[in-house]
Amino acid sequence: MNLLQAFKMAFKSIACKKMRSFLTMLGIIIGVASVVIMVSVVQGQNAKNLEYFEKMGSNKINVSAYVWNGQDVSTLLYDYCLSMPELVDGVTPNIQVGQDMTIKYGAQTLSTNNWDNWEDMIQVVLGSDQYGVCNNYELGGGRDLSYLDIQDTNNVCILGGKIKETLFNFIDPVGREITVNGRPFQVVGWYQRKDLDGWPELDNIVLLPYTFNRTLNSNSTIDSYVVKAKSATATVEAMTRLDAYLKGFINDNNGYSNVSSDNSSANDIQQQNTMQAMVLGGIAAISLLVGGIGIMNIMLVTVTERTREIGIRKAIGAERRSIIAQFLIEAAVICGIGGLLGIGMGYVGTLIAGKFLLGESMLLPSTPIAVGAFLFSVVLGVLFGMYPAIKASGLQPVEALRAE
Amino acid sequence: MLIDIKDIYKIYNEGKESEVRALDGVSLQIDKGEFVAIVGQSGSGKSTLMNVLGCLDVPTYGEYFLDGTDITSLNDRQLARIRNREIGFIFQGYNLIQELDALENVCLPLIYRGVPAHEREELALEALARVGMDERAHHRPSEMSGGQQQRVAIARAIAARPPVIMADEPTGALDSRTGKHVLEILRELYREGTTVLLITHDDGIAATARRVVRLSDGVIVSDAAQEVDWE
Repeated sequence: MNLLQAFKMAFKSIACKKMRSFLTMLGIIIGVASVVIMVSVVQGQNAKNLEYFEKMGSNKINVSAYVWNGQDVSTLLYDYCLSMPELVDGVTPNIQVGQDMTIKYGAQTLSTNNWDNWEDMIQVVLGSDQYGVCNNYELGGGRDLSYLDIQDTNNVCILGGKIKETLFNFIDPVGREITVNGRPFQVVGWYQRKDLDGWPELDNIVLLPYTFNRTLNSNSTIDSYVVKAKSATATVEAMTRLDAYLKGFINDNNGYSNVSSDNSSANDIQQQNTMQAMVLGGIAAISLLVGGIGIMNIMLVTVTERTREIGIRKAIGAERRSIIAQFLIEAAVICGIGGLLGIGMGYVGTLIAGKFLLGESMLLPSTPIAVGAFLFSVVLGVLFGMYPAIKASGLQPVEALRAE
Repeated sequence: MLIDIKDIYKIYNEGKESEVRALDGVSLQIDKGEFVAIVGQSGSGKSTLMNVLGCLDVPTYGEYFLDGTDITSLNDRQLARIRNREIGFIFQGYNLIQELDALENVCLPLIYRGVPAHEREELALEALARVGMDERAHHRPSEMSGGQQQRVAIARAIAARPPVIMADEPTGALDSRTGKHVLEILRELYREGTTVLLITHDDGIAATARRVVRLSDGVIVSDAAQEVDWE
């Protein structure tokens, strides 16, 4: 008997035993699909959680510091940070101008007060030449703010990726002039979009030298800074030093200072994610196991029935290997189809779950998980599908025929 | 000499208290073209004898030569080949595969023999026609009566044209009229030169065979040729 014959026989047998084939497939389909969906949703969730920290920039130290008497903390902090270049990449005031601001270019007017359409709402922010570095922006074109811009309070600005598109519609904005509350500013550069879900304002910023605080922000106190550390370890070290430095001249009687970092919450979330992945992964593994047991059950229940069939086949001259080949192909085909359907269902389920649970438009499972679950089910199905063949084909035909 | 067995023993649970000697030293020679009935009460060992002769089972001790081949020295693969090419089986319970239709059942031994597809179908239809079942070629066993199923089983046994047909109580599950029809087919095969071994507990059926071997408690108690009138 050749291979083609074995294939034909296997397909014939599957087609004839629809119920058993279907039940076997069902176990595999559910097992594979549930593993794929659960693991993918967890991975999607984790990726989403971490995306925030990646886009916002890691190793950021948030510093709040001000002194009642109006002492210029900015310059002190700036100088102090420059004194530890081995730990710190940059420092910037991080001020969002609270007042209504109107930005104009040509016929277009944008407002910071656009509450009806918050996705298009813009922010005017004040920062130093290191604002981009500290907040993880990448320069898309032109140049960043320079130290001279700050020192001389130059009328220059940097645009966020989205506002640049809104105002200039893909024309190069560098060198053009916009007005902020009637005051002209020359665009010297723009940042690439971050496209962070839920944070559209990050791409809608107009960055001005922080020295405009006096004129544009009613000279309110600058009390918020971002320090960018070089690494996670540097973050810890820099935090300690900054805290000590600020405490050196700010106390409860003359002001306020606080040093914090997102790293610790990033770590918390990562830990949480790992936990969640383990719990859901465990549940998924159990469902795969249950699916596997279902496969085993169905296959073993039919052993007797199939033993007789094997007896008949042996009695009319089937060789052992012909019988094993037939059963192997049969099990492989059933499990293969079941596994593929399971992966298909897993993909559909993941898309749906991603949409409704995470609000992701295209959450897709990772290939290793899909392939792993597929292989597990197929191997299990094939092993137990072949079990009657291996067992019964070794018997004397008369013994196999005796099975009732 | 087609079949030659010497001192065949089939012993279950040997050496234990529950020891059963299904065959207790059986020797038998059957020539090509004989029609032999093996008769005995239930438990006499006749089915065991057929299983051994048909290579469905191995004897505990003894020698078995089939057409000069030492069967006891063959491996599993060679035995499968013998069952496929040399012997056609007819069982009391038909033993058709329920999921396959009549034609596919008859084709099975030809598939295992490696007969090409078109030739296979031709041979199978021819065999079905011989037993008068060609019109039901595409019916499943569940759609046929017992007699019809047995005729399909006979077609399966003869499709590969084996030199020996072994039938174990082929009429056991049939009424007397269909039983007669089945016996008629066996006789026709005999007339064409096929060696036929018929196992039965029914003396009436045994009376129609040219040679009757009688078994009791695993030993042959009589072996005699007889004249029969088949007309």
